[in-house]
Amino acid sequence: MSDQQLNNLIKMLDQIIANNLHHGDDEKVTDVAADHLQKFWARSMKQQIIAYANQRPDELSILAKLTVDKLEPAVEV
Amino acid sequence: MLHYYDPSTQSYEPGKSGLNPDFDSFSRDLGTPPSLSEELVSISVDGRDITVPEGTSVLRAAALAGINIPKLCASDNLEAFGSCRLCAVEIEGRRGYPASCTTPVAEGMAVTTQTGKLAKLRRNIMELYISDHPLDCLTCPANGNCELQDVAGVVGLREVRYGFDGENHLDAETDNSNPYFSFDPSKCIVCSRCVRACDEVQGTFALTIEGRGFDSKVVASQNDPFMDSECVSCGACVQACPTSTLMEKSVIEEGQPEHSIVTTCAYCGVGCSFKAEMKGDQVVRMVPYKGGEANHGHSCVKGRFAFGYATHDDRIREPMIRDSINDPWKVVSWDEALAFSAKKLKGIQAEYGRESIGGITSSRCTNEETYLVQKLVRAAFGNNNTDTCARVCHSPTGYGLKTTLGESAGTQTFDSVMKADTIMVIGANPTDAHPVFGSLMRKRLRQGAKLIVIDPRRIDLVHTPNAEEGLHLPLRPGTNVAIVNALAHVIVTEGLEDQAFINSRCDTEAYNTWRRFIAEERNSPEATESVTGVAADKVREAARMYAQADNGAIYYGLGVTEHSQGSTMVMGIANLALATGNIGKEGGGVNPLRGQNNVQGSCDMGSFPHELPGYQHVNDQAVRERFEAVWGVPIDNEPGLRIPNMFDAAIAGSFKALYVQGEDIAQSDPNTQHVEAALKALDCLIVQDIFLNETAKFAHVLLPGSTFLEKNGTFTNAERRINRVRKVMEPVAGMEDWEVTMALSNALGYPMHYNHPSEIMDEIASLTPTFTGVNYDKLEQLGSIQWPCNDEYPDGTPTMHTVDFPIGKGRFAVTEYLASEERASRRFPLLLTTGRILSQYNVGAQTRRTSNSDWHEEDVLELHPSDAELRGVKDGDWLGISSRVGHTVLRAKLSTRMLPGVVYTTFHHPGSGANVVTTDNSDWATNCPEYKVTAVQVEKVSQPSDWQRDFVDFDKRQQALLKPAMSKQENSHATTLK
Ligand code: SF4
Ligand code: SF4
Ligand code: SF4
Ligand code: FES
Repeated sequence: MSDQQLNNLIKMLDQIIANNLHHGDDEKVTDVAADHLQKFWARSMKQQIIAYANQRPDELSILAKLTVDKLEPAVEV
Repeated sequence: MLHYYDPSTQSYEPGKSGLNPDFDSFSRDLGTPPSLSEELVSISVDGRDITVPEGTSVLRAAALAGINIPKLCASDNLEAFGSCRLCAVEIEGRRGYPASCTTPVAEGMAVTTQTGKLAKLRRNIMELYISDHPLDCLTCPANGNCELQDVAGVVGLREVRYGFDGENHLDAETDNSNPYFSFDPSKCIVCSRCVRACDEVQGTFALTIEGRGFDSKVVASQNDPFMDSECVSCGACVQACPTSTLMEKSVIEEGQPEHSIVTTCAYCGVGCSFKAEMKGDQVVRMVPYKGGEANHGHSCVKGRFAFGYATHDDRIREPMIRDSINDPWKVVSWDEALAFSAKKLKGIQAEYGRESIGGITSSRCTNEETYLVQKLVRAAFGNNNTDTCARVCHSPTGYGLKTTLGESAGTQTFDSVMKADTIMVIGANPTDAHPVFGSLMRKRLRQGAKLIVIDPRRIDLVHTPNAEEGLHLPLRPGTNVAIVNALAHVIVTEGLEDQAFINSRCDTEAYNTWRRFIAEERNSPEATESVTGVAADKVREAARMYAQADNGAIYYGLGVTEHSQGSTMVMGIANLALATGNIGKEGGGVNPLRGQNNVQGSCDMGSFPHELPGYQHVNDQAVRERFEAVWGVPIDNEPGLRIPNMFDAAIAGSFKALYVQGEDIAQSDPNTQHVEAALKALDCLIVQDIFLNETAKFAHVLLPGSTFLEKNGTFTNAERRINRVRKVMEPVAGMEDWEVTMALSNALGYPMHYNHPSEIMDEIASLTPTFTGVNYDKLEQLGSIQWPCNDEYPDGTPTMHTVDFPIGKGRFAVTEYLASEERASRRFPLLLTTGRILSQYNVGAQTRRTSNSDWHEEDVLELHPSDAELRGVKDGDWLGISSRVGHTVLRAKLSTRMLPGVVYTTFHHPGSGANVVTTDNSDWATNCPEYKVTAVQVEKVSQPSDWQRDFVDFDKRQQALLKPAMSKQENSHATTLK
């Protein structure tokens, strides 16, 4: 995984969250965002963002981290 | 197996067009347009009774009764004019000899078309025409297809008493300025059909009749050569001309065609039907087909004239391979090329894993081709790494419309615009990018419909000759969502909603949430004015114009989708239509104007990595099981990589091989240098194309593609219309594209066997709920089909969502505006937006290899005079354009079409490097790139950019590596698998 690839994933994730903030509370927003990743991201992309969230939990925004946490059980790694 | 017309096996039967006989009814000219009246009137013509709609002309009624009255100035796509008088008839109880083309039928009318007096009158008229007409019929290009000749024959002209020595126009000079047709006024009979075709059909108003009586003549613009006039070379006048005055140069050079086959244009999303008029296996001319439901006999310069690329010397005629992109290409047999590809793909998967390879198709491919490629990826590659170029144009349409209306498609027919009272065009430029639909829209505008244009650039449509000026909202690039919210705010707060529609057809909870959001003051035109740059009162006016119209129709293009909030904007548009009840009826609707011919189809066919054909998600087990049963292999339940994700993965080293059919990602995708780096990182790039395109220069395998003239299949246009593509000549390398994909799959060990694309369509129909009723036999019978076509709608669905939505109720979506990250700054103070022009098509690989380049030799940068003055720039200066990702150089063109602060260019020429400057910002939901907003700086320069110099060097090197192979292929015949 390159830095650039990872940066793009983080940027995309942040963008998805930003465009769904109107759903209200953090729970709802991250549900919608996680569902979006589930539906549209390739397996490898999900694996990469999960691995990153695990390694450096502090470097993702709170909502991004919450979203990725919701993702984990759904992916067969 | 079904049998369809195949030029190699069937001979031409006179009187048949190479199709089923039904199509022939469209080859007759009934003289005047049909009347739409529902009242019926009965008359008798030469004793034959006929009943026709009120308002029908006597000429047309007679033609329908099988009686052909001579005519010259009338044609059934033009309003009757009554100038030649040849169509004179006698009507019982009326005096004189009225012109039947301008005389409407009346109940009980008894018409006589042949009497001694009429015969004499007609002969006298013809005598006058012929006395001023060259008598060189035998050498005239129209010989065998000339209405003047025919009428002279029919009226029995035997002598010309005036002689030929009087005053005449026989020395008038021919205008050869247009590359495709000539204008020889010595043959003109001043019937004005050309003038009316330009006015009524095309809507350009480039021609007039100048002078009176004997001196009257046809002139283009202010008596200019055609090429310098307003003429856009649509060819409607050429088609209308009954003589050889306006004539295709190809016919002058090659002679009249001897047979024809109906097929579909391979350029834009209008999907015009054409008769390919042939001599043997050579196309002499393309004539728009009157029976085509999308175009009704009209066309633009691309479809009608720009087909010469098919026989261009640059065509790749044999498969080629090489180990590295620095090696020369080696011509090999199909077997060898396919075995080489299969070995590489398998080796890479063995080393880097199942997900290390993928495939991309183009919206230029047929439905059957794109279906096969995604099947190849899913079944033979064993992953979902399939994508299509719609990723970079209309993927937000798929997302946005599916979320709100439940189906990823436009809701109307093109003809629906003729019932629209207000037309809103957002981020689209129909007269350039969808010209035939642009002409139809202009027709409706001339009839009085109102127009709203939301676009940073003042497109030509805003000023339509003989129509009211459109209301133009010139917004700042990147502020679409703010403006669509402001429009909705006005509709909601001024009580302009269609409550009955909302109550009965829309989800109440979603509506209430949306309504609370949109009514907030921050969404008002006044509050958003500083963001969008559009005056609040104009926004209010537009909202009222749209909402108060009986029928309000929205048409949008890539100016909506290619943004970081592309999907949000599509949902915002759907909200407007739902709120005003403009869904499910003619004259309304939400209509994405698809850029390329088969954008709709390639999306329908499961090209996206998360969806199987028919937009069925890969994680739906029941869906997968149905496909698995037919395909005989398990299908991955996780989405695959999208094009930009593939690039990132290639650079990161986990994605190693790519099969690209018909798409030129190196030129069309944003941030060219990033794309080039990704392509260079691949171990195996297989390109299937008709030319060595920009992408192919990075390839290891080159598989010759076939043009639309060389294959069978279907395209689905922007109105969901499935049209047949019919083979008129053999593919240059022996295989149609679908056969190549099939052969590659077989080489990989996943068997595919189809004898004809109709069998692929049968498989599609068996797996796709919206296509269950589609098959080639029905397409032959009906001409075309708009999906959904299934048990519920056996003949297809012209207007969607008339009763309910595929998701039950329409769903309003909250569309919060977020500013794009791409903002003008001190360093990059201007916003660049990109687009298209009429004569060129997409990456230009086809149109650049035709005379269409006479209109557009290079991409230029349009900038506002005030921005130019600030930088000391004059028209024609070389300008360096820099963004945060790249730098390129283009020539300046001063233009007031955009507001100050906005610059504009096109991307039709690879060396211009427009996409070197565009960034990889993308739509939040779909990764569709934000082509329409790039912050740039512009300055005068004296030399090309580094990228452009590298581009020229690389191009030279790659052409040199191809040259030995190309000269070899000239000398040998294509070897085929067959
Ligand atoms: S080619 Fe089209 S635009 Fe040009 S003069 Fe003829 S009808 Fe008009
Ligand atoms: S150019 Fe042809 S169509 Fe036009 S007025 Fe002359 S004869 Fe008629
Ligand atoms: S490019 Fe479009 S408008 Fe022009 S002929 Fe082809 S389909 Fe029709
Ligand atoms: S055809 Fe009727 S007047 Fe010419």
